[in-house]
Amino acid sequence: MTDFAWLTVAEAAELLRGKKLSPVEYAQALIDRIERHDGKLNAFLRFTPELAMEDARRAEAEIMRGGWRGPLHGVPYGLKDIVDYAGLPTTAHSKILQENVAVADAAVTQKLRAAGGVFMGKLSTHEFAIGGPSFDLPWPPARNPWNRDHFCGGSSSGAGTATAAGFLPAAIGTDTGGSVRNPAAMCGVVGIKPTYGVVSRRGVLPLSFSLDHVGALTRTAHDNALMLDLIAGHDPLDPGSSAHATGGCTAELERGVEGLRIGVIRHFYTRDMEADPEMTAGIDAAVRKLADLGAEVREIETAPLGEYVACNRTILTSEAFAIHEKWMCERPEDYGALARERLMAGAFVRAADYVNATRLRRKLADAFHALFSGIDVAVTASSMDPACRIDDPKAVEYTYGRQARAPFNVTGGPALSVPVGFSKAGLPLAMQIVGKPFSEALIYRVAHAYERATRWVERHPPLE
Amino acid sequence: MEDHPLTLDEIRKMAAEIGMTRLTDEHLQQLLRATKTARARRAALPVENLGPADEPAHVYRLGGEDSR
Repeated sequence: MTDFAWLTVAEAAELLRGKKLSPVEYAQALIDRIERHDGKLNAFLRFTPELAMEDARRAEAEIMRGGWRGPLHGVPYGLKDIVDYAGLPTTAHSKILQENVAVADAAVTQKLRAAGGVFMGKLSTHEFAIGGPSFDLPWPPARNPWNRDHFCGGSSSGAGTATAAGFLPAAIGTDTGGSVRNPAAMCGVVGIKPTYGVVSRRGVLPLSFSLDHVGALTRTAHDNALMLDLIAGHDPLDPGSSAHATGGCTAELERGVEGLRIGVIRHFYTRDMEADPEMTAGIDAAVRKLADLGAEVREIETAPLGEYVACNRTILTSEAFAIHEKWMCERPEDYGALARERLMAGAFVRAADYVNATRLRRKLADAFHALFSGIDVAVTASSMDPACRIDDPKAVEYTYGRQARAPFNVTGGPALSVPVGFSKAGLPLAMQIVGKPFSEALIYRVAHAYERATRWVERHPPLE
Repeated sequence: MEDHPLTLDEIRKMAAEIGMTRLTDEHLQQLLRATKTARARRAALPVENLGPADEPAHVYRLGGEDSR
């Protein structure tokens, strides 16, 4: 019997295309699983089984007529609740937007619906993609499927939880300082922050215009590449959208890493910040595995992590406060405490400091991209620590900023978080694979080769 | 540039000047902490490495212009 929960997008697509799997049966199996388990995990903020069954029945009829549309046709997916789906509220997990009904689909939603995906619902987020995990909001925070007492990362928290828990094979999140890659790391799944401008942000509630990225969370690198191929593309209605050709992310998957030059940015997690020893050991073992597979590995140096983070946070909080100032004046009590304090950091940033941060951003990005004359990809830490307890505010606050993801929102190039094992406590460990702009196909190639050699992605959390 | 340590009364006045008049004392404590955090980040920006001609990382383009 097929275990529907752990089908990958690629596996499901083959079965669906060959009419060996019914989209209706597949959707119903995941609906049953979500109904059985999500009361303990809170991945869904708005679960929409009725819409899912409509999509599944339509997909089934089309596929049976010979009209298979591609790898997402008949495959369930979910959207972080800052992404518009016409007719449903986009709440950003906030009291402030509880009644905010989307009038149109986001660009990414349009693409997923056109691909024949089965929409399962809106997923939990940190409030406004910045404030969480919070217990003072209209909905509870998502929890980690590997251990429900632990944080699942964020801000695309429900996307990480739902993918890891076998509720969905793919989900859409957003990433401004690491918000796709953090839940991917904490939940043991694969998460992409693509090159800035590769995926349209139209219809996605902004946090910081110049740092926001839309990306996918999946259980394998192959699936992630499939999803990025589906959602990428120029959008003239997004002023940050790139006209650079995209696609073909799966084209190089099977080529392996032999001869590739991999730079390890070790100082991020050993000198600039000291990662948890289990995390460092996991990343070091992954680097050795890549060398065993034939890659040429060497350490590289870039600017200190703190410079990237200060640059990211100065820009992020300034742009975010511009968006939130009106609500902060009129309804400050309607924010959760964490979102309110994190957003308030932008209230009194001087104009000169914001402009200087954007000037430093260019210098940091230029210097970082110059490193790629001597390497093909880089690897570094994602989170510095395994997931902490969700009910320990001090631990959450301590670990929240202990990450090496923000640098790549600053540089704008692609960064993929991939699982590299588990801590002694059974919580996922992760690293990032990073490329120069528009080199997504190459980083998926490295991730796929590593994944095939280690099989971490075949472990699943026991939910019973 | 040196910043003097802000007090709660000062932050209350600064907040009022930009229209944030509905903040409770708890909110003002948060604003005080957040502003201190933002100032620490400013201190971490290596602006001494910037020359006069170093331009911002633009993400703005004129309509109709080819991107990148």
